[in-house]
Amino acid sequence: MKNLKTKSSEWRGELAKSITFIVTKDCQLACKYCYLVGKNTKERMSWEVAKQAIDYILGHEDDFKEESVIWDFIGGEPFLEIDLIDRICDYLKTEMFKRNHHWFNSYRFSFSTNGINYHTEKVQNFIKKNREHLSIGITIDGTRRKHDMNRIWKTPEMEQGIMPKPKDERGSYDDVVKNIPLWLEQFPSAGTKVTISSADLPYICESVLHLYSLGIHEVNINCVFENVWKDGDDALLEEQLMQLADAIIDGGYYKDYACSFFSESIGKPMDKVLENNNWCGAGRMLAVDANGIFYPCTRFAQYSLRDKQAWVIGNVHDGIDKNRLRPFLTLDRCTQSPQECIDCEVASGCAWCQGENYDAAYTNTIFQRSTAICKMHKARVRANNYYWNKLFRKLELEGEREEYERNKPKSNEITC
Amino acid sequence: MEKKLIGQVTVEEKNEIQTLFERRNGLNELAKILTADNSELYEKLVKDLGETGTKFQSWWDRMAEKYQWESTESGSWEINFDTCEIYLVTN
Amino acid sequence: MLQYLIILLDDTSVSFCHYDNVKKERRLIGLDDMKTGILFAMKENLNIQFVYPDYGLPQEYNDLIETIDHTKIMPAGNGTGADVFVVEGCHTLKDMDFVKDCVYVVRTDRTELFKEHEVISAALEKTARLNVVITDMEKFTEDDFVAYSSVLASLSKELERLYAGGKSPQLNILTDRMMLDKMNNCCAGDANITLAPDGKFYICPAFYLAGDDEDYGLGKVKFSIGDLQTGLDIKNPQLYRLDYAPLCRNCDACQCKRCVWLNRKTTYELNTPSHEQCVVAHLERNASRELLAAIRKHGAFLPQQEIKEIDYLDPFDKKDEW
Repeated sequence: MKNLKTKSSEWRGELAKSITFIVTKDCQLACKYCYLVGKNTKERMSWEVAKQAIDYILGHEDDFKEESVIWDFIGGEPFLEIDLIDRICDYLKTEMFKRNHHWFNSYRFSFSTNGINYHTEKVQNFIKKNREHLSIGITIDGTRRKHDMNRIWKTPEMEQGIMPKPKDERGSYDDVVKNIPLWLEQFPSAGTKVTISSADLPYICESVLHLYSLGIHEVNINCVFENVWKDGDDALLEEQLMQLADAIIDGGYYKDYACSFFSESIGKPMDKVLENNNWCGAGRMLAVDANGIFYPCTRFAQYSLRDKQAWVIGNVHDGIDKNRLRPFLTLDRCTQSPQECIDCEVASGCAWCQGENYDAAYTNTIFQRSTAICKMHKARVRANNYYWNKLFRKLELEGEREEYERNKPKSNEITC
Repeated sequence: MEKKLIGQVTVEEKNEIQTLFERRNGLNELAKILTADNSELYEKLVKDLGETGTKFQSWWDRMAEKYQWESTESGSWEINFDTCEIYLVTN
Repeated sequence: MLQYLIILLDDTSVSFCHYDNVKKERRLIGLDDMKTGILFAMKENLNIQFVYPDYGLPQEYNDLIETIDHTKIMPAGNGTGADVFVVEGCHTLKDMDFVKDCVYVVRTDRTELFKEHEVISAALEKTARLNVVITDMEKFTEDDFVAYSSVLASLSKELERLYAGGKSPQLNILTDRMMLDKMNNCCAGDANITLAPDGKFYICPAFYLAGDDEDYGLGKVKFSIGDLQTGLDIKNPQLYRLDYAPLCRNCDACQCKRCVWLNRKTTYELNTPSHEQCVVAHLERNASRELLAAIRKHGAFLPQQEIKEIDYLDPFDKKDEW
């Protein structure tokens, strides 16, 4: 008898420490909704800084007691620095083993990429080398028109602040979609992350269905947390999601495909005591940039912030100042929420980003929750209620409710 | 390929094999980059690979003995780490 | 709810708390600003605390001050009539002529406190109340915590002796917790605000006296919360309240200053204390508990009061149990 295994659908999410290397602030694209306001071509992480960060982290095992670790690589576009990443990962594996570090038994390398360089020899060699420990998400936003509306190629003029005319913009859909089959062949259960801003709303339904047609079974999708929403956007979202609900149910996609917009758990009131946890993982994560500065999450690095200064918690030389993590680790839902959120009848599933809260707050605090997303959440809840009422009725009429409950696809809620 | 549910282990038992499984994967991928030049680490790796492999097989033997799982000549057992369920997989 | 208005009479007004005042150049508050400030306090029903510099004020200022009920906070050695005298360094207490019934604030760094705490012991029976303010609390190390524990034990011995002899001196770091059954913190930004010589309101003097470019991270720490013309404008006012401080609202180190200035400096958040502030407060709390038990050996004392035994020094370590 040989003995095999199957993988977990969600890899130790709650038990893992997420450590992010901001390897570059450069990207081939200039996505219009990108929250990284300070991208540039200059800040690339050096090997020395990466090594110092690793030595500090692995050398302080007592301060990192989580059972597992996700070594996360972001940019800009992380695969622009594949040589560095390869060297970092080799060093991590060797050092975790050499130091008998408990994370050697439980680690992943995680990437969020625009997918453009996915097929290149260097990236493919890296994938082969680390196959069992990889989680790679390629961002594709949906149909060509939806994707190309936002995810456009950067031009040299943009660095001088000169934006191309709409007719001169070059979308990246073709450059990404060509790599989707290879990606899905290597990671069949991989999901993609779709970001929705105001201008994208009319294309949600077609985009999700398009991603399904490409073979992507899990579409994680969320509205941006920034205050970009216009009058009527909530009605438009609701309409799109109801169209999507009809298409998923009538087309039978609900059996094998997942879309994170629809979740049974959202749209319920929340208990002030029992459901008072913070949504966001900032502070329980760690990010390090090219200068060797540590942050509670990448969203607190300067290149992510519009109006506030970076929230630095230490550096690779002096280590982490634990006092600067105390607010993050004691923050709860109600203390940061206005009364309307605490009393909200449809509160569950309403997300926030701690970095955006900080950036949008009146003062330098993470204790002021931004409510820019409120009307969009409520619209989502209405469409979500419609989805489940329609789906469950159909399943009951067809006698398939129990079978569905046994086999329903899992969708991971998006957390930033 | 056919899969048949034949049993379930406890969460603690699942955790034990999952850790060994992860370690074995880690060792295998480390083996791709370590060479005999780094003799001390290389020897540590080889030794660990042997020990982890033994522990891995020992877990299946112990569990099979404990739970008396169904088996076939050409089949293999598989564990679902999410549910702790054990399947018999035959081609 | 606002209860107190602190009026800094001059840029060189004495520091009576954790912050340092390094300003050397005199800048007296404008007389009109002071009048408007007093009027504001009267209309808002606030008690005024005037904080004095180390030089005599012009007579018209003294006259104006006497038009309203108030408290005077003065540097020791400057004039008379203070309700609170501020002493810089333990050593200054050695040759001090104490004014009976006055409160004395002694500002000291940890090194001097550990070395000179006998001076504090000796001063206990000479004054109605002594407040010890440690000026470098944020720099405490593990060794300092041990040393501070010993200092508290030593001071407790003297307090026990005095209480057993029928006296009842007050030392903020040991006797306050014995008397308290709920939080009694500084409450800057909630129960009190400060009017500075520039005519603007600040959370506390520290936020005014910070250098123009002083930055511990997240940007400059100096910011005002309104002025006499447009009134108070405290952004995110809830963050100065106990119920919006996750660590503190679950804590019973009631005598802790819960200093928002130190919070801002060490954790970046006004409502979150540092490890050092929490441990120092808990060492005091636990020493108070032992002092209470020691005094009771000599007879009945505060029979309703109970300070529970706890197994932690930093409530942060217990956050998962809330």
